[in-house]
This record gives sequence, C-alpha cells and structure tokens, in this order.
Amino acid sequence: MINPRLNRNTRVLVQGISGRAGRLHSRLMQEYGTQIVAGISSRKELSHINGVPLFSDCSQAVKATQATASVALVGPFDLLAAIEEALAAGIRYIVTPTEGMPVHDALKAKQAVDRAGAIWVGASTPGMAIAGEVKLGFLPNDALIPGPIGIMSKSGTLSYESGYRLAQQKMGSSVWIGVGGDAVKGIRYADLVPFYAQDEQTQALLVIGEIGGHEEEDLARALIDHQFKKPVFALIAGRSAPEGVTMGHAGALVHGSHGTWQAKREALEAAGAIVFGSLNDMVHGVVQKIARS
Amino acid sequence: MYLLEHDAKSLLAAHHITIPPGCLVSQADQPLPPLPAGPWMVKGQISAGGRGKAGIIKKANTVEEIKSHCEHIIGRTVKGHRVQSVRIEQQISGGAEAYCSLLLDAAAGGIRVIMATQGGMEIETLPPEAIQTAVAAPTLEALTQCIAELTAHLPAPYGQALSEVGLHLAKRFLDSEALLIEINPLFVRSDSSWVVGDAKYVTDDSALERQAEILHLLKTRSSAYPEAALKFEHGCDYVVVDPDGEIGLLTTGAGLSMMLVDELRAVGLKPYNFLDVRTGGLRGETQRLVKVLQWIHQGRHIKVLLINIFAGITELGEFSKLLVSALAEVPELNVPVVARLVGNGLPAAREVLSAAGIALYPDLDEALVEVKKHLAAAGEKK
Repeated sequence: MINPRLNRNTRVLVQGISGRAGRLHSRLMQEYGTQIVAGISSRKELSHINGVPLFSDCSQAVKATQATASVALVGPFDLLAAIEEALAAGIRYIVTPTEGMPVHDALKAKQAVDRAGAIWVGASTPGMAIAGEVKLGFLPNDALIPGPIGIMSKSGTLSYESGYRLAQQKMGSSVWIGVGGDAVKGIRYADLVPFYAQDEQTQALLVIGEIGGHEEEDLARALIDHQFKKPVFALIAGRSAPEGVTMGHAGALVHGSHGTWQAKREALEAAGAIVFGSLNDMVHGVVQKIARS
Repeated sequence: MYLLEHDAKSLLAAHHITIPPGCLVSQADQPLPPLPAGPWMVKGQISAGGRGKAGIIKKANTVEEIKSHCEHIIGRTVKGHRVQSVRIEQQISGGAEAYCSLLLDAAAGGIRVIMATQGGMEIETLPPEAIQTAVAAPTLEALTQCIAELTAHLPAPYGQALSEVGLHLAKRFLDSEALLIEINPLFVRSDSSWVVGDAKYVTDDSALERQAEILHLLKTRSSAYPEAALKFEHGCDYVVVDPDGEIGLLTTGAGLSMMLVDELRAVGLKPYNFLDVRTGGLRGETQRLVKVLQWIHQGRHIKVLLINIFAGITELGEFSKLLVSALAEVPELNVPVVARLVGNGLPAAREVLSAAGIALYPDLDEALVEVKKHLAAAGEKK
C-alpha cells in the first residue's frame, strides 16, 4: 500500500533551492514546520540559503543529512533528470510542483519511480500537506486546518478555494494530496484509495477532479473494488469545455467521448460518490453530511 | 495540440506514410487550387470528432459540387469550433477498413497500441473480439516487439499492413512526443498495400520548444491553433468558450477558472472566455495582462469584466497595482469591473483598487450579484 503520510520529523531536501521559487518556497515550508535539511544548487559561491546547507547533488546531501524526501523546484525540461538524481541518491518521496513537464519525460520518470518503489507526487501540483504538521509544496495556510477530510485534487486553485471555504466552515483536512493536472503523473487518485480506507484521521474523501483522461473513472473502479465505506464527495471542473481544446492543464483535453464531464460523473455516482455541480453545493453538502455523522 | 486532419496527414506524409493526395481551402469564394484526380471528399477541418454526423464531410463528383460543399461547410460552427477550412482529397477506392492507434496509457505509464481488422467507426463501438491491444514501455524496442505480437496472428492482408503502419506510427509517436495518433479508417487492399483514411494526432504542448517540426507548424498555421499559439507566445491559457459571451473573465488557475465558467453557465449567465493567466508568472510586468484585456475586448458582447483570483502565494497588492495599470493601458475595454480577490495582501489590494474606483468582494457570490446588476443595467441601456 502507498502511504503518503509524512510528519514533522521527515527530513526534506529542496532541489533547485537557489532559484526564485526555491528560495521563496523553502522559506514558506520552513515557516510551516517542515524540516528542510538540505538544498541542491549548482551555485558554488553559496553555502546556505534560509539557513539550509547547500550541496551540489542529491547523493552528497543524503549522505550528509539523511534526507528521505525531496521537493524539486526546477524547470520543466530539467525535471526528469532531477527525479532520476533523487532516486539514485535513495530518496523515496518526491514532490514536483513544476508545470509543463513534457509528457514523454513523465512516462520515463514514472517508470523509474515505479522501479525504485518510490512515491512521486506531481508534476504540476501544489504538493501535499498534513494540516498543522508538514507541507511539501505550496498549499496555502488559509486552506489548511486539521480535520477529517482526505483531499485529492488535480487543480491547485480549485482545491485552494475548496479547502479555504471548508476551513471557513471549520471543516479541515487530514491528508491532502495534489495529484496534479498532468496526464501522466506519479500518484493517481486510485493509488490512494487503500490508504484513505485505513487512515484513522480520514472520515470522508473529497475528490477535486476535472475533465480529460480517465483518472476519475479509474478511481470509481478502485472505490468499488476496495468496498470503500467512507463518504466520497466530488467536484469536477470543465463541464462546459469545448472538445479538442486543452483547458489550462495538459491533462484537461476532451476528445470524442473520452474524458467528458458526464462520463466522470456517471462513474463516480455509480461508485456511491456524491458529485456536486458547484463549490457552494459541495461545501454545504460536505459540512452537513460530516456534521451529521 | 489536437492537430487538424490536414496537418496530421501532412506530418505523416512527410515521414513516408501514405495518404490520399489533397489540398487545403479556406476561402469558398476564391478559385480552387490544383486538385488531384476525382472523385473527391470535401472534409471540414475542426479539432473534434463526429464530423461526418455533423454534416461537414461530403462526397463530390464534380468541381461544382466541391464549390457548393465549400460554401456550405466553411464558416459553420460545429461543436463550438468555427470551420475555417476544408481539405479536398481524392476518394479512396477499394480496400477494407481497419484501425490502428497509439496513445498514452497514463495509468500504466506506457504506450497503448490498439489494432483492429474493422474500422470507420469509434473504437469503443467495435466488438472486443475484433480488437488487439497491449501496453508497451516508451521505447522503440518495446513498441516493435508489442506490434509484432499483436499482428502475428492477424489474417492476410491485415497482418502485414497493420504491422507496417504500426511501426511507422511508433517511430512518429516517440519522435514527435505525441499523446495520440489514431488512423481510422486505415484502408487495406488485398495485396496488403494501405492508405490512411482519417488521422487524429494530438501532440504535447509542453514539448513544443524541442519539437521543431510541430513548432514550425504552429508558427505557420497559428490562426488554426489560436490557443496553443497564445500559450506558447504569452505563457498563459486563453480559450474563447462562447463568442457571444457577455462576461469577460480575468482568472488564474486552470481548475478554478474552468469551475467558474461552469458555474456561470449553470445559472444562465454567459461567460466569454476561459483564462489561466498565471499570476505567478507576471513578474512585475503589465504586458501579459494588457494582452489578455485586449483579447477580451474582441468579444463583441462583453458587458462586464469579472476578476477572480485566489492567491495562494501571489501578493495581491502587487497584482492590483499591475491590474490598474493594465486597465489604464486598454481604455477601449470600457466596461464595469468587478473584482473578487482572496489571499495574501488583501488590505493593500483593497486600497489600490478603491483608489481606482474598483469595488472588491472577498466573497464570490457577492461578486456575482454585482455582475448580474451590471448585466441588467447594460440590458436597460439598450
């Protein structure tokens, strides 16, 4: 079973720490409580950033700091190499927020990650978080309060808005995984079903999906196969998207009957999920159902 | 990028894959270019399937028929796409219909190869026993092996034809970093020779920079691929979802922007566009915002501009300054502005926007009430 739980003691390194995003987000993650123990940078003139010691590659960093997880903040064409470097150094949990990773690179990365038995969250993701404990990536603090809802999301912004509105209703999250908006990715919804089924903090699941691909359909099948007992709520964006046009996320492309909103809703409903048509309906539905139980 | 059939076929032909001779026509009132020998097919070009059912694929036996079809097809709107051009090509005579495709299998992390000795209809509607399929690793060796296994037991003339086409497509799929290449139908003759009937070809926008051939296509045919061209040039995603839309949207984040379009439509409002402006990529410049406002201004029925930004990281005060400057640079977009912002730096944003006379709503529902008021007021003015 894939277990995406991390905690305050998880030792994290940041690849690409001396870039603009690397500097900003390593600081924000530190402020949230994440233990950033090392940074990877090719800039030899620097020794530390945000108090974090720098290394020229992952293998040196892992030897010196015993890091076990990585957040890679590098450009899309450098991402495959960064993932391979982290795996070679023994890292087994990799979060890659970068948008625009070429799909064929993602195919190669996925094969390497699977061979190593590692967990890869991304690409094109705001990352993951366990509210009040740790975050790898940049889920906004306003949306992060501890609570009973396991969240899996493709879109960053739609999940921020959802988490924020739920938090306003004092409804928080247990383990939040942004699987990301790409077609080929690391962890997918269906991979997380066994984990959420047995996770004691998780009382219900919120799936924030969108058109394109068949990840929602695969999730529906996994829910049925695992006889998932907890309530499942879903919000799916892109109902009015025209066919044949990519809607912002590389994965959000409808062609023919493939990847349509209707197909996803039908599959999820057949698996017992409640599919909402708007953010407001979702927030009210979740709050009512969970408060009642 | 979902390539138009004409471009898909041209790319395949450039790599020794046999297609029927044909040409592209985008103006019905101009003289026709040199035509291949008839009879012909006249095929409306849009990036969506179901063209036959929609009536934009027609047979023609005379040049007069071609012209009449061109007049009827060009300019129509099918599935939200305006038909900008038709491909006129020679009808294929003889041969049985087969099917061959390669596509990403995201769940398996590989490339799925599908072959069938029937074709011409959607693969989902074929009986399962007519379909051969397997997933291969993304290497030429693995795909070659996979295709050999799938075609080994197919009857003549399909075995040889599908094996040849499969290998051609495998090479194309890897070299062009495709997401999907589907040949349906593939016409197979009794001597195992074959020709591509229709082709669907989807490429990876994220790989464009290192795909010279596709990038060249995008640059020379940018009007056929406006969304991909905009994204490549300006780094943001913009799609006109309703040419008659009344609400211009300045939004960030693909998922949230899609959801907003959906929700507006669900309550009977008419959004004009989808936009993921990527506030994180603005880097203190107004340029991208100005472009976006100019694009929105092209909507003939725009009555109000709705800004919806959920800033996880972006500093909203900074963003608001850029927004106010950008709006001043596009005075021709003379419509009321409703702003809904949430996140970092909200007080600073409120100050900047109120100085510019723009009301700020932290609650999306309140912002929508305001949008409706402006729409009603614009209606009364008429």
